[in-house]
Amino acid sequence: MSAVLRALRASWGILAILLFWQIWVGLSGVNSIVLPGPAAILRSLADAPGLYLSSTAQTLALAALGLVLGLLLGAGLAVLTWFSSLLAGLLTPLGIIFASVPVVALIPVLARIFGYDMRTVLAIVVIISFFPSFVFTGAGLRALPPGSADLFRVLGASTWRRLTLLALPAAVPDMSVALRLAAANSILAAMVAEFLMGTSGLGYLFAAARSDFDMEKALAASAIATVISVTSFLLASRVENWAARNWR
Amino acid sequence: MTEQRKALLLGSLGILGFLALWEAVGQGRWLGLSWPPLSAVLALLADENRQPLFARALGATLSSLGTGYAIGWAAGIGAAVLAHLVAPLREGLERTNAFIHAVPSVALAPLLILLVGREGTPATLAALNTFFILYVSTASGLGATQPALRDLVQVLGGSRWTRFIRLDLPLSLPTVVSGMRLAAPSALIGVIIGEWFGAPRGLGVLVINAMQNFQIPLLWSAVLLAVMVSLSLFAILGALHRGVVARLR
Repeated sequence: MSAVLRALRASWGILAILLFWQIWVGLSGVNSIVLPGPAAILRSLADAPGLYLSSTAQTLALAALGLVLGLLLGAGLAVLTWFSSLLAGLLTPLGIIFASVPVVALIPVLARIFGYDMRTVLAIVVIISFFPSFVFTGAGLRALPPGSADLFRVLGASTWRRLTLLALPAAVPDMSVALRLAAANSILAAMVAEFLMGTSGLGYLFAAARSDFDMEKALAASAIATVISVTSFLLASRVENWAARNWR
Repeated sequence: MTEQRKALLLGSLGILGFLALWEAVGQGRWLGLSWPPLSAVLALLADENRQPLFARALGATLSSLGTGYAIGWAAGIGAAVLAHLVAPLREGLERTNAFIHAVPSVALAPLLILLVGREGTPATLAALNTFFILYVSTASGLGATQPALRDLVQVLGGSRWTRFIRLDLPLSLPTVVSGMRLAAPSALIGVIIGEWFGAPRGLGVLVINAMQNFQIPLLWSAVLLAVMVSLSLFAILGALHRGVVARLR
């Protein structure tokens, strides 16, 4: 009983929205071509799960691969700037500028450069995950616990040891912030890119269903993306809490 | 040379290097015709015949951005204050907001066109994006007051309301302003996606039309304009953030 109450306390808002939506669709009598209710969308999902499975798998794989590549590249470049203060001075302002650029606006440009296919979707997710990773890892590598850098110097630690034993562990909490910021965005960016370029995946499924006036299918595709995005956000928040507890 | 001036010099060099690379890639056509040189993009932006086009698009985008940002700002702070004062609502509000934020904008846009029309959709998406970031930053700012200070207010006989007005609210300001800065690019993304779904005019419309009609320099000019809007807002709000932090420390 208390578990039910707790779940209700956490998700009353979402339930209220879904309920209101269902009732409004029922009362106003809008055509399901215009706006189907949540129940109809669920039914469409349950009727043909196979239809959504391959698109979901593809978008998910692209988003995950792009996320990992982007985070690794960003962290890698941040480590390079840690070695060289010249490189850090040259690249850090650029990184901050790009981190505040609305990357979604760049999708049409990137689509023209790389062509209308899956590689472009991957490139977009990589770019979106790259900048937070670069900026946050770079900040984390420099925000060392007070006194620790002096200790390492006194003990005559090599640069490599200072990196692997001091700076990288100190940067873990900041890297996990970058992960949380990028995780939920990666799947949404992949979907926008697929939607715009009409290649394949969830975004394409959405676009195709919408132009066929099959709103149930279109909204079912977005429901899947929403669930994945919420899940990855919650998982990444959990990683962030864990990192903040154990690495600080 | 002081550290600060060195950082400024190196940073400018990095940015200049990037711009030079952009020009070189375009001039040499290393990435084909899809990558125009910087000079061609700037020339198009400065072209007098195109000024009315850019001005109209920029005006529409800025007005959607302003409206959406203001609504999202007020609603986000309001919801966070409500959650702060009425504890039982907190968890549910947080969940609901995270859920709404996770719904893909491309999925929301067609629904919004139904509910608020083509003209209102960009501003609504901007408001939703701003709302979420302002809610999260205000909530975390309000919750971050040191317990010792709270105890002090209580010992001195201050009510919850006094604590909120005199303590939590002022101390949350740096976090709130930092949220305002982060919300600006996010709100612009909302406007652009909203415009892609058939707003009558705006930078997003310009971008999508140029993309479909292979007008490469026009595409880049419109994107560059959008980026400049985002960066200027980010810089202005960044200055505000530094001012607030300096004032409160």
